[in-house]
Amino acid sequence: MVTARLGGYSLQSRLLVAVTVLLTVFLGLTGAVLDRAFRNSLETGVAEQLQVQIYVLLAAVDEADGNFYFSENLREPRFSQLNSNLYGFISSASEGELLRTSSALDIDYETLGLNHDLAIGETRFGRLRTKAGTEFFVTSYAVTWENRLSPILFSVLESTDTIEAEASNFRNSLWSWLGGLAVLLLILQILLLRWGLAPLRRLARDLKKIESGQSETLDPSYPRELSAVTQNLNLLIQSERKQQSRYRTTLADLAHSLKTPLAVIQGELGSHTSDINQASLVQEQLDRMNQIISYQLQRAVSTGDTGTLARQVNVASVVAKVARTLEKVYADKAVVIKRDIDTELNFLGDERDLLEMLGNLMDNACKYGRGMVAVSASLASTMPPRMSLRVEDNGTGISVPDRERVLQRGVRLDTLAQGQGIGLAVVVDIATSYGASVSVTDSPMGGASIILEFDNIRIAD
Amino acid sequence: MRLLVVEDESLLRQQLKSGLERAGYVVDDAADGVIGLYQATEYEYDAAIIDLGLPKLDGISVIRQLREAGKRFPVLILTARGDWQDKVAGLDAGADDYVVKPFRLEEIQARLNALLRRAAGFASPTITCGPVQLDTSAKRVSVHGANVELTAYEYKTLEYLMLHPDQVISKAELTEHLYAQDYDRDSNVLEVFVRRLRQKLDPEQTLQPIETVRGQGYRMRAPD
Repeated sequence: MVTARLGGYSLQSRLLVAVTVLLTVFLGLTGAVLDRAFRNSLETGVAEQLQVQIYVLLAAVDEADGNFYFSENLREPRFSQLNSNLYGFISSASEGELLRTSSALDIDYETLGLNHDLAIGETRFGRLRTKAGTEFFVTSYAVTWENRLSPILFSVLESTDTIEAEASNFRNSLWSWLGGLAVLLLILQILLLRWGLAPLRRLARDLKKIESGQSETLDPSYPRELSAVTQNLNLLIQSERKQQSRYRTTLADLAHSLKTPLAVIQGELGSHTSDINQASLVQEQLDRMNQIISYQLQRAVSTGDTGTLARQVNVASVVAKVARTLEKVYADKAVVIKRDIDTELNFLGDERDLLEMLGNLMDNACKYGRGMVAVSASLASTMPPRMSLRVEDNGTGISVPDRERVLQRGVRLDTLAQGQGIGLAVVVDIATSYGASVSVTDSPMGGASIILEFDNIRIAD
Repeated sequence: MRLLVVEDESLLRQQLKSGLERAGYVVDDAADGVIGLYQATEYEYDAAIIDLGLPKLDGISVIRQLREAGKRFPVLILTARGDWQDKVAGLDAGADDYVVKPFRLEEIQARLNALLRRAAGFASPTITCGPVQLDTSAKRVSVHGANVELTAYEYKTLEYLMLHPDQVISKAELTEHLYAQDYDRDSNVLEVFVRRLRQKLDPEQTLQPIETVRGQGYRMRAPD
């Protein structure tokens, strides 16, 4: 598919994306902060422990003849176990290593690289990475030792492995909890969104009902935030309908008030035929006036209304209505009107417009045909829906040079040949206002075949 | 033939009335829907011409109500707008044909003729009753193919009888459908017309197409 426009995303997906981003940021930051705090508290604990071990070492060390030794057993048993993860060193910058606990027998002093630049009495806690790659927490304490010039450094080391394992355990369980929480919150959020947006979905459904003619107005029971919109929509729909019906009433009045005097003049003309020339002149002008009025009035019927609130009209039922009428009118001619209409086809627009087009086309077919008329409507394509509507007869047809002329839109009425009706011109005008195409061909039945193709089609459910 | 014209525009109504009367119809008129409906249901008409845009009661309601009242005579509607919504609604309500204003009187007459003939059950404009042939569109009568010259009233009398073959038509009914209301019903004009008709159609007195049913009226004999 093509990239969706920003306005094309649904409210639900917008809110979902926003909430997901928010949740990710919030839970991510929370996790990072908690992780950091836990690690800090672990390290503080280690620092305190190592400080205690320094004192343990200090208490047990003595010197004789320049050699350091443990004067008593160390109170911390881990100092006595080989590779126990707790190691003690006594060293000086000038002499290097002076003494180590038995736990540290396997450790290469040189790779440790202990830092000796501490001031006397200073304790320092930190991390230390050996050249071999092992990492230790280390606490060092510098003291002056009786007759020695350089300060003696007491160091206690503990491998970071235990702490790291503990921290990573904590981190794993922290993130799995937070992840679970995120999923739960998202599900809750989706449910809340569905509930919160339900009135909007209902509005869409209601509008569809108005469009299909199942209801006249929107239900008044909408939430407060929407009711302002729905009330205004209702007013708009009503005023549009009122406007349309007022427009039509005005037209009907106009037609009545114009055509009735014309009928009177026509009648007078019929009864006073003393001067034949004069009468035919008046008659000619009368016919022209009548044609112009009829054309403009019938054209004005068309609203070309295919907006979202357009009603839909079943094509088959309108064709049936017109056929019923024409079969009565042309009873003498015993016209047979064959209908082949897909009953699922609905015309999006005004019923009057469809009636006007079908009425004129089918009337012409009855008038100019030799008793056989065929009306068919079918889907020309499904995506997008396009209807092909065809009216055929078995008359003499329309000659090729005439076709172009009869299909011209807004044809000037004073250029119409004598006896040529305004019917087809009206059809072309209305069809064009709906964006339809009109074409004329020969019918296999022998006469003319008029084809209209409409896009404003909906297929019934 | 007795017609009802319901039209609110008085000039047009008068024109229709006088034009149709000149053509030999008996015409009653009404200026609004209520009076029109009253007349249509109270009196016997052969056909009605009803304008759709009537005051008080619109034409479509008039037609629907008179059909509901069981009136079967043909109805021709007059429509000013001439749009298909009006035509379809009018014919669905029970009218039989439409004429769009403005119209020529000849058009109305042609439509009326066709409607009257169809209502009597004849599909073609020529009605045949044995050797007697009546062309309703040309208003000509022939017997065994030879033209017979009739006066307008003689023609009307024969047409009415031929449109109701094998039915006994009372003198009262004939009078009512052929002559204006204020005509003196006790006169013997009808007998004179029928006698003259018989002489013109059947000078030898061999065919005897018009029977007299004693005490009841006349009957056009359909061929066996």
